[in-house]
Amino acid sequence: MSQSPPIGSAPKVSLTIIAGFLGSGKTSLLNHLLTQSQGRKITALVNDFGALNIDSELIEAQHGNQVSLTNGCICCSIGDDLMRSLADIMRQDPLPDHLIIEASGVADPTRIAAYAAVDPQLRLDGIVTLVDAAAHALHAQDPYLADNYHKQIEAGHMLLLSKPDLVEAHQLETLEAELRANYPTTPQARVRNGHLPIEVVLGLQAKEQVQTAPPLTPQIEAHGLKSWSGHLPDNLSRNALADKIISLAPHVLRAKGVLADAQGAYALHYAGGRIHFENLDVTPSGHFVLIGKPELPNAETLSTLFQPARA
Amino acid sequence: MSTIYQAKSIRTMDPHQPHATHLAVKDGHILAVGTGADVADWQSAWGPLELNTDFAERTLLPGFIEGHAHMMEGLLWDYHYVGYYDREGPDGTIWPGLKSIDDVVAHLKQIQETRDDPSEPLIAWGFDPIYFEGRRMTANDLDSISAACPVAVLHASLHILNANNFIMDAADVKNADNSEFIRRDTRGKPTGEFLGQLGMYMAMRTTNLDLLAAASSPKTLQTFSQVARQTGVTTCTDLANPVPEGAEVAMRETVEKDSFPMRLVVAYQGNSRPPEESVARMQALQDKQSDKLRFSLVKFVADGSIQGFSARLKWPHYYNGAPNGLWYIEPDRLREYLKAFTAAGFQCHVHTNGDECTEVTLDAIEDALRAHPWPDHRHTLQHCQMASRAHFKRMKNLGVGVNLFSNHLYYWGDEHRAITMGPERAGRLDDAGGCLEEGVPLAIHSDAPVTALAPLFTAWCAVNRLSSSGVTLGGESEKISLEQALYAITMGAAYSLRLDTEIGSLEVGKRADIAILADDPIEVGAAGLKDISVIGTMVDGHVHLNKGRDA
Repeated sequence: MSQSPPIGSAPKVSLTIIAGFLGSGKTSLLNHLLTQSQGRKITALVNDFGALNIDSELIEAQHGNQVSLTNGCICCSIGDDLMRSLADIMRQDPLPDHLIIEASGVADPTRIAAYAAVDPQLRLDGIVTLVDAAAHALHAQDPYLADNYHKQIEAGHMLLLSKPDLVEAHQLETLEAELRANYPTTPQARVRNGHLPIEVVLGLQAKEQVQTAPPLTPQIEAHGLKSWSGHLPDNLSRNALADKIISLAPHVLRAKGVLADAQGAYALHYAGGRIHFENLDVTPSGHFVLIGKPELPNAETLSTLFQPARA
Repeated sequence: MSTIYQAKSIRTMDPHQPHATHLAVKDGHILAVGTGADVADWQSAWGPLELNTDFAERTLLPGFIEGHAHMMEGLLWDYHYVGYYDREGPDGTIWPGLKSIDDVVAHLKQIQETRDDPSEPLIAWGFDPIYFEGRRMTANDLDSISAACPVAVLHASLHILNANNFIMDAADVKNADNSEFIRRDTRGKPTGEFLGQLGMYMAMRTTNLDLLAAASSPKTLQTFSQVARQTGVTTCTDLANPVPEGAEVAMRETVEKDSFPMRLVVAYQGNSRPPEESVARMQALQDKQSDKLRFSLVKFVADGSIQGFSARLKWPHYYNGAPNGLWYIEPDRLREYLKAFTAAGFQCHVHTNGDECTEVTLDAIEDALRAHPWPDHRHTLQHCQMASRAHFKRMKNLGVGVNLFSNHLYYWGDEHRAITMGPERAGRLDDAGGCLEEGVPLAIHSDAPVTALAPLFTAWCAVNRLSSSGVTLGGESEKISLEQALYAITMGAAYSLRLDTEIGSLEVGKRADIAILADDPIEVGAAGLKDISVIGTMVDGHVHLNKGRDA
């Protein structure tokens, strides 16, 4: 019998779960992430590869239920057996940088997130729940699905409002206010045709975007979002930093730092209200990046907040 | 070879001739049915027929048809049974029920001490702690069997698993987020019990084995057919199977052998592929069928289970206040699939446990039939445990049949009364009486391996409606008669599989699929139905005697 290599020895795969009802735009978002991967090795577990409608020129090979793209991303169909599909992916060598699971329209995403709680090689980056702005009123009162719908929104670490162009501006604002009232710490963003900077959905990459200085993708500003970056003083403890980030929620979508404090070097990942610290054995750059909504304070205020020693 | 079988009694399920004593078989089919007085006529009409008296003291019934079981039953016997109830294995061994955690541990310890390679993973199944009061099983219990190899105990539900510390250490749950799917002790330490499919996932990650391989190996099929034979089943379903490319060829090689004692109806798992692709796959399977292997059904699972609190219920939902259950497929998606398969002319079986799910599924079927009218579609609701009279009336009008999970009455009846449904609604659980009175075609099933495959036991459940503690669920209107129950496990199931012109009764021209019983169920009566010994079966006229029984 072949024993698997000891699990836990390989680097962690960052897991993002994309939840949302049928028609809420999961497929468009996935298409965008897979084709604009910016060098990330992404594996996506999806319900229906055909529906993704990936440009055939981007498809390198197809074996069984697995499709390889020319940019190094892989897409697998789940069939009806997520557990087995996931176990298969996690046995692959090399492992992907990032795993995206498209939850079915009626899935409870916390059930999927639970795999990351037991698999030491999976790190839950977050649950992204798509809310169909045009169908919200219908879904929220669906006689059979309303409970599911609210569960998915509640489970989301980030809420993406899709199809903002299909509703009147005031309706959109009302919906955003309603969601903010019910889920005050969960950040929201609007997404049209799946277009959103990849950093917002999958997080900031340690090497390319944090070790060295930005620029972040110009997309950030093109999407009406804001970013801020800087070097943090090493007398700032990780808990104090966490408090500062949370004080800005829900305007913060993402934050990442490769930092050090009295306990040693660490990486910080922030996604929709969840902070994750990862101990590092590299010399940290001290660099910190934040992506947020237009409501974020201006750069000067952020500098004062995060760099008190210099202030 | 043409043979006349003489029996003590033959219950044919054919209204023209319900009772007989002699039956002639030619080329795997039934040539004639009657009494000793008819034999001379048969000889002169059909030529020389050999008289076989092996079963002269036995009772023959149409081979039983299990309309809802899973091939996994064949796989699990590779592992060690540790359930609460006695269970008969494929070789006729009766594995006694284990009545405490200590009994389970002691049993597995003994296996560990005597097996060839004690470093291999040790996997057990069928564990059901709802019958044990007090403490739950922990990783330390299982470490006392071995801490040096993976030890996993799969619960009867197949959705909970206990692991030893070998698996727990690999899983690294100590650092895990506070997940509701990891059971913890009062100090917050994980106990080794995983909920959902997490335990199976970690066991698979740790051992690198596919413990519940969907693929249908020849060995799994053989074991499955042996379990069926032990209980008089001649046609069994696998509900459902995604049928990966090529699996149909491998299955057929095994099933086609005369020595393989079972006809296998594989229900294709409809949502294993996107709708268009899925219909194409089903179409491609059609010419891969044979007399003994069918790909004639499409299956969908629309909600979860009542005892797992994942069935979708109508108000007032769960008796204990648990939140309403889960959809396993979006209602709109189900609608889309049912439309696509109805348009293509494929019969669909839909798992609906809760009454809300039953209603939504009936809506979806009605939609499909409005779009693609099909007078004899025989779409069937599987489990359908909480259906009301109104639902049955609607099924009747739509031409929908039902296959009820009657074994639930016994195994979980007490839990349904006390916890999930409360006494009133538990009274109408698996209402076979109401179903027949409203004119809906009825089958009843075991859902093996969830409960033991044994149609006579299932019939006993539907007739007596007794829980394991001896409480009767509901009243006379929910019960069915002994004769109706025997019909349900033969002709009723045959109808639900669209095989009623071929099997299900012993009448001229049908296949010689026969259950050979030690006693006549009609004489034994309702109370003793489950205890009747099965001597063997005949499939296409081939006799398959059971292990551990004398003909």
